[in-house]
Amino acid sequence: MKGNPAEGERMIRRFSRLRILEHWGIVLCTLILFATGLSQRFWHLDFSQWLILKMGGIDNVRWIHRYAGVFFTLGLILNIVVAVAGVVRGRWSPSMFITRKDFTDAIENMKYYFGLDDHPARCDRYDYMEKFEYWTILMGGFLMILTGAVLWFPILITKILPGEIIPAAKALHSNEALLIFLINALWHIINAVFSPEVFPLDTSIFTGYISRERMAREHPIELARVEEGVPAAPPPAAGSEKPAGLPVVTLGTSE
Amino acid sequence: MIKGKGLALCFGLVLLAVASQAGHARESDLSAQAGKCLQCHAKEGIRTKFAEDSESVPARVIPAAFKDSVHGVLDCTACHAAYLPEIHTKKRFRSREQFRAATTSACRGCHSNAQIGGNPIHTNFLKREREGEAPVCTDCHEAHSMTPVSGGKIFTNEKQYCMSCHRYQMEMICRNKERIPLKVDLSELEKFAHDKLRCSDCHFGFSQEEHPKRTFRSRRDYTVASSESCRRCHFDKYTKTLDSVHYAILSQGNLNAPVCNDCHGAHGIAHVSHTAKGRVLTTQKCRKCHPQVYEMYSKSVHGKALIDEQNQDVPICIDCHTTHDIQNPLTLQYHERIPQMCGNCHANPSVVAKYGLSIDVLKTYLADFHGVTLGFYKKQREKLYKPARPIAVCTDCHGTHSITGTGSSNSPTVKANLVKRCQKCHPGSNENFPNAWLFHYKPSLSKHPLIFILNTAYRIFLPIMVIGLILQVLLHVWRYAVNR
Repeated sequence: MKGNPAEGERMIRRFSRLRILEHWGIVLCTLILFATGLSQRFWHLDFSQWLILKMGGIDNVRWIHRYAGVFFTLGLILNIVVAVAGVVRGRWSPSMFITRKDFTDAIENMKYYFGLDDHPARCDRYDYMEKFEYWTILMGGFLMILTGAVLWFPILITKILPGEIIPAAKALHSNEALLIFLINALWHIINAVFSPEVFPLDTSIFTGYISRERMAREHPIELARVEEGVPAAPPPAAGSEKPAGLPVVTLGTSE
Repeated sequence: MIKGKGLALCFGLVLLAVASQAGHARESDLSAQAGKCLQCHAKEGIRTKFAEDSESVPARVIPAAFKDSVHGVLDCTACHAAYLPEIHTKKRFRSREQFRAATTSACRGCHSNAQIGGNPIHTNFLKREREGEAPVCTDCHEAHSMTPVSGGKIFTNEKQYCMSCHRYQMEMICRNKERIPLKVDLSELEKFAHDKLRCSDCHFGFSQEEHPKRTFRSRRDYTVASSESCRRCHFDKYTKTLDSVHYAILSQGNLNAPVCNDCHGAHGIAHVSHTAKGRVLTTQKCRKCHPQVYEMYSKSVHGKALIDEQNQDVPICIDCHTTHDIQNPLTLQYHERIPQMCGNCHANPSVVAKYGLSIDVLKTYLADFHGVTLGFYKKQREKLYKPARPIAVCTDCHGTHSITGTGSSNSPTVKANLVKRCQKCHPGSNENFPNAWLFHYKPSLSKHPLIFILNTAYRIFLPIMVIGLILQVLLHVWRYAVNR
């Protein structure tokens, strides 16, 4: 269990209880949304039909999907409100911002993978891959909520917008769902489960703790800051790194 | 031993002689009196006139036919008591009616009412006689070529036996006084599908030996009862009809529900015809009970093509409603089968391609919201519960029997009409709402470009992203392995 703390190994707190709860929430939510949504998108597959019938029929599945969507929306709003509040109150650093360093980190990592550099990129609290996952799900989530609402209330929407908005929303909703699913299923699960450093499971999001050894390898800048006793440092060289994403600041607790 | 053989031989010879005598007796010459009468009455064209008018009846007797008849052994005066060969009275009948009455009374001189009533066929005649309507024996029984009734064995087949009576204008009177004609036109019968059958194949219980007396409450009762005969041979079709809406109505006591004979006829059962003419005739059969539906159909794009152009590609009633197991079209189950019915032709390139119609109509419907829901409802109906919500199918937008071409100006698919149809299930929807449906078009740059661009963008971006992510993972694992 490489992902789990070994005996006597020094552990560092990485996630607060709120984040652990939030992760459980999103796991549950996306599982339901994917099961009920993708089975509708791929309705012609035998497995989808079996699943939909097991869940009580197409009408039930659609209602479960909508309620799970409402739950997801609430979670997303909570995430943003907490993040904005945390940053505004000065308790948290805007560590999830996409910065120029993320792009240089990606290039640096590529060089390392191809043997052109002797060490991987030195990342802060969240590396560029984690940020990519977060922002795709966050932005995709917004798109899903928006298009989902259009599909839920087509009569209301077509009172003010042209009718073609409905099939357009359907195209966006189903394609974006597939994109998020691939990022989650393919990448996130591989990184959190099958990655050789953490296999069989990266437990940090469940326990809240990460080993110092992994911290030193994956988040050396944050480790240095923690060990220097700076509780919530701004992102490294903040002055030179302008946010590249939308002005949504979130996550990044140093509790 | 030799004595025994001799006796047997003698006995055999005697039998042969007796049999030969009997044969001769059967074919014996006519009586001397008949011979005398026939000297004149065998001549062609001999007629007798009635006194009151100039009408006449043939007075010719064909000697051979008379000789073979059951009455061939009689003297002419046995029936024609007023005439003798020596004294051929000048007596003339006043009219045809008197003549007919006189011939019947001649028969009744030998054949008692009890004897006549022994045959159930005669029961009705005797009854009518009591009511004042006297039957005339010679209407059915030829006067001078009367054949013996004992077993009817002289007929070469059963049909000939039955036709010996049923070629005449006869009627069966029902309890409600309705009359059922019993005359059968053999020449017509032989043109149709059942020309090789014997009468008793359908009229079971009747034969050359038996002719049971049956009375029916009404003519309709008789038709319904006689349709039961069909199942003896067409059991597969009969079992199908048991599942039909027509049988359901019939079993509720409504005798107006159609039975086999109503569509197929009784003696004039036609061969199955797949020609345009045959298909038109089929629609006419349904029209008998469903005139309003036929009226709509005949004005529809399908009906016009059938009737005006003899087009064989267009559907007729039975293509959608089937023939024998016709289901109630007002049920949800029937409603849910409609896309498949329309798809039988509209998704078949060999049928619709020549008219420039798209074959994607079924596919695009099934892939959209309504089609997907409908598909699940059909499955759920079998396994889960019965969804009561009807889902829009082809006919909800295009119409059913009154379906018009989508290009015509009064087409129900034009948006103004379409929004009304949408509002039936989606109350409050406005004129923008129908555009949520892509009208069977696959998105392309010319039709629904926004959807096309969105789908294409994802189609390009998704594989690139997936390949990128997989490469990142593989590189990571590879580097990890190299470092170890």
